[in-house]
Parts: sequence; C-alpha cells; structure tokens
Amino acid sequence: MSLEFLNAFKFMKKKSFLHNLDPRAKLLFSIVYTISALLFTQILPLFFIFLSLIPLILLGKIFRQWVKSIRGLSFLVLFIIILNTLFISLSFALAMILRIYIMVSAFSIFFLTVDPNDLALSLISMKLPYEFAFSFSLAFRFVPTIATEAQNILDAQQSRGYEMQKKGLINQIKNLFPLLIPLIISSIKRAFNVAEALESRAFGSRKDRTYYYTIKYSFKDFVFTLYLLVFLVFVIFIRVQFNSMPDFLMWSLPV
Amino acid sequence: MIRMAREIPLIMMKEIGYTYPNGTRALKNINLNIFTGELIGIMGRNGAGKTSLIRTLNGLIRPTSGNIYIKNENINSKSIATLSKIVGIIFQNPFHQLFANSVEEEINFSLRSLNLSKEEIQKRTDQTLLEFDLEKYRKRSPLNLSGGESKKLAAASIICRDPQILIFDEPTLGQDAKEIEFFINLINNERKKRKTIILITHNIEFAYEYIPRTILMTEGQIIADGSTKEVLNNEFLIGQTSLILPQICQFYLALQELGLQEINKISSKNDMTDYLRNLIKNKSSKI
Repeated sequence: MSLEFLNAFKFMKKKSFLHNLDPRAKLLFSIVYTISALLFTQILPLFFIFLSLIPLILLGKIFRQWVKSIRGLSFLVLFIIILNTLFISLSFALAMILRIYIMVSAFSIFFLTVDPNDLALSLISMKLPYEFAFSFSLAFRFVPTIATEAQNILDAQQSRGYEMQKKGLINQIKNLFPLLIPLIISSIKRAFNVAEALESRAFGSRKDRTYYYTIKYSFKDFVFTLYLLVFLVFVIFIRVQFNSMPDFLMWSLPV
Repeated sequence: MIRMAREIPLIMMKEIGYTYPNGTRALKNINLNIFTGELIGIMGRNGAGKTSLIRTLNGLIRPTSGNIYIKNENINSKSIATLSKIVGIIFQNPFHQLFANSVEEEINFSLRSLNLSKEEIQKRTDQTLLEFDLEKYRKRSPLNLSGGESKKLAAASIICRDPQILIFDEPTLGQDAKEIEFFINLINNERKKRKTIILITHNIEFAYEYIPRTILMTEGQIIADGSTKEVLNNEFLIGQTSLILPQICQFYLALQELGLQEINKISSKNDMTDYLRNLIKNKSSKI
C-alpha cells in the first residue's frame, strides 16, 4: 500500500484561476462548502453540492491530485458504509460518504492551491498574531514531509514482515500502531527541533515586522467571494425550506 | 573469494529501470550480479539511485522495466511479505521502525510474521538479545535508547528473521568508534554464515578497509563495479561522484609527487604505518 495520497494535500505551483485567487477567498470557499455539506443528510442535495465542486477542480488543473485524495479515503468509506448500513441505512451511508467527499475535496483544493507563504500573510491580514500565523503555515508546510516520513516508516516496517491489510476490524486498528507510533514520535521530535532552530534565530524578538510582499484582494476575488456568499445563502434557503421543496430532492434508496 | 565457474548469482538484475510517479528516472538500465556470501558496497552521491536500487530487492518499489531474479526466480510478482523473509533491509533511521513497549517486544514483533511457534519466537528473541548485547535493555522502551543502541536494535530486529540477504543503509552514520567496531564484528559473523551483505555508505575509509567489492553509481546508473581498491583509487571515477579519494590513496599520491616509488606496496593502513616506520628507521640509521 502506498501513502502517496497524502501528497494530494501538497501545494503545487501552477498557473490557474484557482491558484491566482487570494488565499482568504479560498479559505472562505473551504468553510462555505464544509457548512453546506453539514446542512444536509439526503443524497441528492449533497450530490449536487459535490457536483458543483467539479468545475472548480478542473479550473484549478488539479484533477489528478484530487482523485488521489478521494481514492485515499477508501478505507474510511468502507468503514462508513458498514457501520451506517448496519445501524441506520444504506442511503444514509451514501449521504455520509458524499459529505466526507465534499469536506475532503474542499480542503484538498485549498491545500493544493494555496502557497504556505501566502497563507501566513493572509492570516496576518486577518489580524491574527504573527506567531500563530507562522505556526499555522509551518504546520501546513510539513504535510508533505510527514507524508514522506509515513512512507519511509511503512517501508521500514514492511521490510520486517509487517502487513498492512489484516483480517478483522480490531486487527486492522491494532495494525496501525507500528505506523502511528513512530510517526507521532518523529513529529514531536521534529517540532522540538524546529522550535529550537527558530529560537536560535531570535524568532519573535521584534514585534514590528515588515513583509517582503503583501497580498491584495482583487476584482476576481470579490467576484468569487460573492459567488460563495450567494451559494451559501442558497443552500441555507434550501435547507430551511426543505420540506416545501420538490419531492425528488428527498429521494433515497429503498434500503 | 574463489567462485565456481558455473555458479549462478544469488541476485541477478537485468536491465532494471525505475521511474518515480513524478517522472524522475531513478534507475537506468541496471545490470548486476551478486553472488552468495559476497560483501558489496554501493557508493555514489545523494540522489544517485542507491536507495531506489535496494528498494527494488524486497519489492518496496517495482522496476518499471527489466527483471530481478533472486535464487533464479523472478521476484516481480512476489509480495513484500514473502521477499522480506529473504531480503532484510536495515534503514538509516532506526526510529522509523521502533514502536513497541519494550526492546524484547520489538524483536518479538519481527518474528511473529514468520509463523513460528511461541517457544521458537521466545528462543530466537533471547538469542538475539544476547548476540546484540541488548539483554540489559530487555524491558526498556526502545524509544529511550541512545542513537547507537537504537540502531543496533533496528539491525537486531531484522537479523533475527535470518534473511539470506542483508542490506544496510548507511550503517556507520552517527556511530562512534565502538559502535562501528561492533558493526564490523556483526558483518564478519554474518559472512561466516554465508549471508550476502550489501552496504550503502558514504564512508569511503570504511569501505576501503572492509568492503571487497564496490559499485559506484551516478544519475541512476552503475559507472563502476569491481574491487573496492581499484574503484576507489581511480581518480576519474571518484571525480564523477561527490566522494573523495581514500586517505591511503591521497597518501601515496603525495609520495609519488615526492618521487618515492614504493607506492604499489601500500594498500592498507597497516602497509602505510609499516612504510612510514621503515622510512623513519632508514633515515635515522643514515644519521
């Protein structure tokens, strides 16, 4: 098994409509889509929301990476199907899968198209203290590093006979320990090392910082924000008036 | 080592190529034969393809072209779990594999996938702890061991599985002199058991002293394969990598510049000290 899907959250410099948008607009996009996904528990509304993401993914030229992030959810999807079908219904299980897909896609699009440096700047412009903005962008930047480390850990464990796929749910959960423990330990160690490296470079000694370049909300960012707000108002309206909506929206599987 | 003329190589790599999903060509047309009981060093600059090459041997990466044969069997369709019984890779960073509550449990974990009886697992664990001088840490958490001890434990957890081929990635990195000595003894012991050992190393002095055969790689290709002394004494080949000539080689080049002719007699540290001793003796007798 490959943990390559974690790379689906790694920023790649490209020239596209989505890449050129202001990070704040993209953060709003992720939030709006997450809220929209949480508003519904029916298949069709969630399916339409999911569908509305596709043009944006194509505009961002990130289709392949996005597919990888979706594929990486297979284990979780299986888990959702089994539990929800057993305890509630298959329709509910499908709706929950769509909900997860929307939320993961929204954040995958965000991570794939936002440069970590721009992210820090946008957070600072939102009046967040520099230390917090920097920590956040640093955490964001370490996602691909952790993905590489996870792959190395998997390789090392497989070299001594470790098998990822085991029968039974309990065994599968137990089986994650040889991967998760080294990953957590090395992440904590790295965090300490980074903190020491930053302190040795006098991080935070001056409060009045200047920046090499600044970011600006342009016309297309305003248009995109307007679209997101209209979209949000629209889905909230549908949710509030759901009972008076056409019957087909409430469609569900017979099981 | 004397080899039978018709001996079949333990590992045969035929026109191996590997391209990463991002398009990087890590290995290009690799042809390599490795025989049972050999000790081989793989050297070259970072990114030369050394690690990719060894990862193909236990299926962690599958060649995008060519075939690999181990014991005359094509391994392309064999699972990592199956191959890990024959090929044991000891990676550079021991903390990538240590996770158990105790050192004993760490060794136990490696043995469990071999389908051995409980008694056999315990017997091998005890034996490994003794062999690796880890008995005193039996109940200690592996995460509390020093760098050297954890590297020893990582090696122990692979060697206890008794694979026929052992691969070490940078075994001397960050090791003190005593730990390197322990490692040398370990290699010698494993060679006595007719194990085939492959070492990836940047430690040119170590390679020059202990490894009989060296493969030099650059940009995914093998540029030299032969006796370590011949390969590492070759200024042209060394210039193709980020390595530097071994000290002994630099020493006799300096002697050559001084017009001293005995250079062919010097091929080890002992030869060098003997030569200097004689030189000083001769000089002082002349005075």
